[in-house]
Amino acid sequence: MSMLEEPRGGGACGFPSFLYPGQADLGSVLAEARRSTEEKAAEIVRLRWQVAEMAGDELAECAQEMAIRFASGGRLFAFGNGGSSTDAQEVATTFLYPAYGLSLPALSLTGDVAVVTALSNDVGFDVVFARQLAALGRRGDIAVGLSTSGGSFNVLQAFEEASRRGMLTIGLAGDQGGKLAGLGLLDYLFVIPSSSVHRIQEAQTTLYHVLWELTQHALGAVPAPQVHDAG
Amino acid sequence: MPLTSTMHPTVGEAFLKRDRAGRALAANSERIALACREMAARFRRGGKLIVFGNGGGGADAAHIAVEFMHPVIVGKEALPALALSNDSATVTGLSSREGFAEAFAHQVRRWADPADMALGISRDGRCENVLRALEAARELGLFTLALVGGGGGAIMRDRAADHILVADSDDPAVVKEIHVTMYHVVWELVHVLFEQPGLIGDGGAG
Repeated sequence: MSMLEEPRGGGACGFPSFLYPGQADLGSVLAEARRSTEEKAAEIVRLRWQVAEMAGDELAECAQEMAIRFASGGRLFAFGNGGSSTDAQEVATTFLYPAYGLSLPALSLTGDVAVVTALSNDVGFDVVFARQLAALGRRGDIAVGLSTSGGSFNVLQAFEEASRRGMLTIGLAGDQGGKLAGLGLLDYLFVIPSSSVHRIQEAQTTLYHVLWELTQHALGAVPAPQVHDAG
Repeated sequence: MPLTSTMHPTVGEAFLKRDRAGRALAANSERIALACREMAARFRRGGKLIVFGNGGGGADAAHIAVEFMHPVIVGKEALPALALSNDSATVTGLSSREGFAEAFAHQVRRWADPADMALGISRDGRCENVLRALEAARELGLFTLALVGGGGGAIMRDRAADHILVADSDDPAVVKEIHVTMYHVVWELVHVLFEQPGLIGDGGAG
């Protein structure tokens, strides 16, 4: 997970600094809290549209490529750190046990604590995903890596390994794309243009859900009416 | 390779269906502020946050726990939080012997102290084990918060939590996206209020 700081004026978390000395009354703080929530809701709505505008074509193309890999027996591997590790789990379970459509083979490389701690302890945290891809991955598979900063070393190393193996490589990053943008070997890199880690993660969630929907569409699956969901 | 002709309209539709739910989130701002005030007071009293959910909601539980335990903003205090869906040995062990409906309630009963908070995630509000864990938490005097979607299911019907935040969509993927913004905002506001003990009191709200 990135340690990007929220570059906002005034107090942390986008709150005006006058709230911090402790002189404000509860009513005004709660009013400020409501205003802040409304502002953030509007911000992520705007950011999603910005992503749709910037990356819509590429998303459709990427999903088409993913569908081709799945149709040929490819599997998906997802990885990330911290909050992004939970996104990797969400990506894997979304493809493997979907709300509708085809169940597709997908695995999160962050789920097995024995593997993750063994590799980290014996070799180093930087190889924690790359080594798993070296063992499990093959040509025609799909690697999906998430990093809000684009700078996570283990994600970068995993992409190098995936690329060597002929996997389709899809990166999700934020801000300027960090080192992932400079890597030059990704088939697709989606950069969320925001400096807030939280908004980046929220837009990335939409982005990989949309990729899943488009992949299902490309494979001919039709959305079913939403009745029940395990999540 | 050329894209199939139906892909582009599908991209537009995918983003469009997120727009309404995204805008509707703002209607929860009052509920969010009140929940965060009580959570901040309970953290001040030494309470911890216990989080649970199924499927992708289990991943959200882990995300929420790490958000509090390892704050993304440098200088913010780490606050105690625990996700009950992380330990597959416990979850599968409990499910195997007690039934999946007990997977979280059992853990809540063992872990809970009266100053604690329980946060359950269920994208359709129908998860039996989330409902039971919220009920167990409430019986033990914990603060209870639920993140649900759609009609809110049994959790909403039974008012199974003191605070219920509803993502206004029937699509579980969209519900998750709204939930992520909700819990990010909750984390921020809890910290803002936590840093103002004079305002929130020492837990009287709890």
